[in-house]
Formats: sequence, C-alpha cells, structure tokens
Amino acid sequence: MAPIIEIKNLTKKFGNLTAVDHLNLSIEEGEIFGLLGPNGAGKTTTLLMLTTVLKPSEGTAIVDGYDIRTAPDKARKLIGISFQDPKLLWVDTISDVLDWHAKVCGLSRQERKSRVEWALKELGLWDIRRKKIHALSGGTRKRIEVAKVLIQRPKIAIVDEPTAQIDVVGKHRIWNMIRALRDEGSTIILATNELYEADELSDRVGIMHKGKLLVCDSPEKLKDSIPGGDVVEVHTKKDVSRRAIEKMKNFDEIVEIAVIESNYLRIHLNRAEEAIPKIMEVLFNEKIQVSSVNVAQPSLDDVFLHYTGLTIEEAQRLAPAR
Amino acid sequence: MKKLKEVLYVIERDVRMFLNHKILLFMRALWFIAQISLFGLIASRMVIIPNYFEYYAAGITVTILYSTAVFIGYDIYEEAEHGIVEYLLSLPISRRKLAVGRSIGGGLRSFIYVAPLMGIVLALIGVRNPLNFMLAFFSLFLFAFGVAGMSITIAMGIKSADKFDILMGALDALIVRLSTVMYPKVFMAQANLMYSELANINPLTFASELFRWGAGIEQYLTFGPLLSVLVIVLFFSLFTLIGIIFYERRLEGGGWQ
Repeated sequence: MAPIIEIKNLTKKFGNLTAVDHLNLSIEEGEIFGLLGPNGAGKTTTLLMLTTVLKPSEGTAIVDGYDIRTAPDKARKLIGISFQDPKLLWVDTISDVLDWHAKVCGLSRQERKSRVEWALKELGLWDIRRKKIHALSGGTRKRIEVAKVLIQRPKIAIVDEPTAQIDVVGKHRIWNMIRALRDEGSTIILATNELYEADELSDRVGIMHKGKLLVCDSPEKLKDSIPGGDVVEVHTKKDVSRRAIEKMKNFDEIVEIAVIESNYLRIHLNRAEEAIPKIMEVLFNEKIQVSSVNVAQPSLDDVFLHYTGLTIEEAQRLAPAR
Repeated sequence: MKKLKEVLYVIERDVRMFLNHKILLFMRALWFIAQISLFGLIASRMVIIPNYFEYYAAGITVTILYSTAVFIGYDIYEEAEHGIVEYLLSLPISRRKLAVGRSIGGGLRSFIYVAPLMGIVLALIGVRNPLNFMLAFFSLFLFAFGVAGMSITIAMGIKSADKFDILMGALDALIVRLSTVMYPKVFMAQANLMYSELANINPLTFASELFRWGAGIEQYLTFGPLLSVLVIVLFFSLFTLIGIIFYERRLEGGGWQ
C-alpha cells in the first residue's frame, strides 16, 4: 500500500539558515508517527510545509496523491493541524473559536454542535466556554488548540507538541483522545520534544536534528539498535571528575558515557554485572561517594544521544536562533 | 453553494472580530457624537455658509465610514502578531476565497457599524429624496469596500505595524482634509487652487457629496450624480481587486512573515 504522505527532498531555507535539509520520509496510513527532536530541529517547519502554510525551497511532499506544490488546496483539505503555539485571537471566546473552526472545516450544523460540545466537555472547557481567550492560562489555550483538530477529525491530523504546558492528568486525557482519533481512521503526525510522549504514543518515530532526519523506525527497534544493551545510572554525592570518566571509558564493556549533570552519569554498556564493580572501584579510588546506582532499559533519550552525541537538553541549548 | 459558504464564514469571522472590539467601537461612536454635538453645533454658529451643521454632519459620517473600513489593516497586523495568519493559511479553504472574504468582510463590518450612526445623522438632517438617498447609500456601501481593499493592500505591502499606523495617520489627515467632508470646494480653491484640484480626485469628496445629495442637503454635485457613482464604483472595483490580489499573493509567497 502506498504511504499516505511521501516527503521527497523537502528543504526550507530562511536566508542562510537551512531549517529543513533534504528530508525524505514516508508516513503510512493509520499510524501515529512521532517526529522527535529538540526545538529548532526543523519539525515545525516541516509541518508548516506539509500544511502548505510555507512553501518549500526545494523538494515536495505528496499527501494522499496530491502534491503540496501543485495541488495545495486539495492537500490542505485532508489535513488538520494543532499548532505548537495556540493561534487564537484574544477577543474571541472559546466557543467562538471552536464553532467557527468547525464551520470552516465543513461540518454540518448538527455535527458541529455535537463535536464542539463533546470536545469542550472532554477537555474540561465546557464551564468556561464563554470566557475570552485573554482571560485564559497557557495550558487552557493549548487545550483549545488541540480541540480544533479533534473536532475536525481530518484524514491526516498533525499535533505539534500537543501537551506542552498541560498538567499530567490533561496529558493522559489528550493522549487517549489522540489514540481514539487514530482508531477512528486518522493518520497522526505527532511532533514533540518530549521523548516519553513519543515513546508512549508513536507506532514509528523519526528523529530530526539540525533539519535532517537521522533515523526512523519503531521505538522498540530504535532502542534495540543502540550498542550497549544496558544503561546504568549513577548518582554521586559530589561532581564526577574528568579523570574518573576517562578511566571508565577505558573499560571494554562501556560504550558511551552521558554526563547528564555533573553528579549524574548515564552509562551505556554491555555486561552490566561485570562493569558495575569496575565503575564503583574507579569512583571509590577517586574518593567520589556514590548515592545511588540504577540499571535501566534504554529509552528514546539514549537513542537521541547515540545518533547525535548530545542529550536532547544539550541539543535544545545549541539550537540556532531564527 | 458550499464555495459561497466558505467565503461567508470568512466574512462572518471578520464581522464578529470587529464587533468584539467593544471598547474601541464605543470610543469611536463617542468621538462621532462629540464631533456632531460639540464641534458641529459650535462651528455651525461661526461659519457663514447656510446649513453648515447638516453639511458637516454628513461629512463626518463619511469620515467615520472611512476610518472604520481602514481598521481591517490593523486586524491583519494583529493576526500576524498572534500567529493567526498561519492558522488561516492551514484551513481547508482556498487562498482566493480567504482573500475575497477578508475584503468583503472589512467593508461590510464598517458599514454595519456606521449604519446606525448614519441613521442618527439622517434623523437630524432629514431625507428629502428617498430615491436619491438609496443611490447614495449604495455608493457608500461600495465606498466602504474600496477603503477596506485599500487598507488590505497597504497592510500587506508594509511589514511593520508601526509604519502602517504612521502612514495611515498621515493618509487620514491628508485624505480627510483634502476632501469636501468638512468644507465646500469653493473655500478650498480660495485657500489654494491645488487643494480643490486634489479634492476633485479624492474618493472621500465623491462619497460625501453623494451623501449630501442623497439627503437633499446639496442639489448639485461637481461631477453630477452618475459620474460620482461611477467614480465610487471604479474606486471600489480597483481597490477590492488589488486588495484581493495583494492579500492572496503575499500570503502564498510568505510575504506575511
């Protein structure tokens, strides 16, 4: 079966900055595809090109048979997007925003009424539906932004950081609604810099960094692909010296050491049972007291670190300003 | 029908958005009432020309129609600031329908707002010939669309909200004062012949003269009623078309960024 979205050499340049660099990617119908990367990786720019808001500098994408360059109106009819930053005018009320959105997306009066009411109730917005946007918190505005795409139920739903600024309970509610949207037949593109969210929701994940797609597969396969099947987290009572880290790197079992904080190491290794005593010995000799040791499963953080050499927080800090 | 509906939704949004600016609309109405009840009444006692109060009240109505139709340009900047442009561009409607809807919505909402104020003025000055007034009313309707198109064109041409604000302030000062909204052309010519020449090509002159003619305050128009209506139709057609083209092209080309 042909993919519902086929991205071919998609590129976007803003002056000298290449925000998206010859991106090639296929998205299958009915999947939740996680587009993962730090801020500035090119995720949002890619999504804006897919929704025909931005014109590509090079390359194109085929959306269910329609080229975004030559048939943007047709491609756009298939897509709904919930933006990273809520796009709401301050003088509107919540009901105004959602009702108008439903109207312009072609929903009948009856569908509109029932879907808007459903979304308002599900997202805990019903009691405040007549409040104006300027009186709402960032989290509430974000819920309104997500509600738009849930009401629209498009063939391809794009959600850009759907749970940013939202509390834990709200996050889980939105995740369930996104899953339900997929179960009803929508293909979902989830852009996020929250690795846990991508891991939790996605059937497949594409990791973007500096405008390029580094790797793309299911979260399980990505985690299996990194060498050093075990991860050991070591917390110490004082900062771990560079000398201690260099000593540990000499061990055959150790593949990679990520210094998350100066007193927190995340060590990728093979044969943890043999390596842990050696690590402890180094720290003991360096007079660094250990407060905890934990053997963990690899996560998408580790995948990101493996492919970029940076933690997602480091990559975020180094992201180019546009 | 479905295609028309999409344009209607865009118009509806613009009208609603405008009517949501309650404080602004209230202040604008207050300004209008002050202009008539204070300036108009006092100045009419100083000015020697007969029925100056009626003359001024009609002129100031056209002025407020102009200044509210211009408001669509400010909305475009506000939308850009809040990222609404991206939202509008992502919607499943064509850019052309979006542009047409904006242009019509910008004019229509100003007319909806000014219509009750116009009613107050007409109650004060009376309507002597309803048929003439219908023609004048229709011309003012088109005039509002033309001004909205002009505002969209300028807003999409200038990327800075501050520059737009300054330019529109200067344009407002010139376009209102170099027209016959506040004084007859004969006095403009006495001050400087060029002033009256410029007033002759100013759409505000045509709109205010038509309003006075429609209300029966003036019997004769400089260019006659038909030619005046034709000028307004041309103004409407030109700027509505340019506004639509400019909005559509700028949006598609990323000129809003």
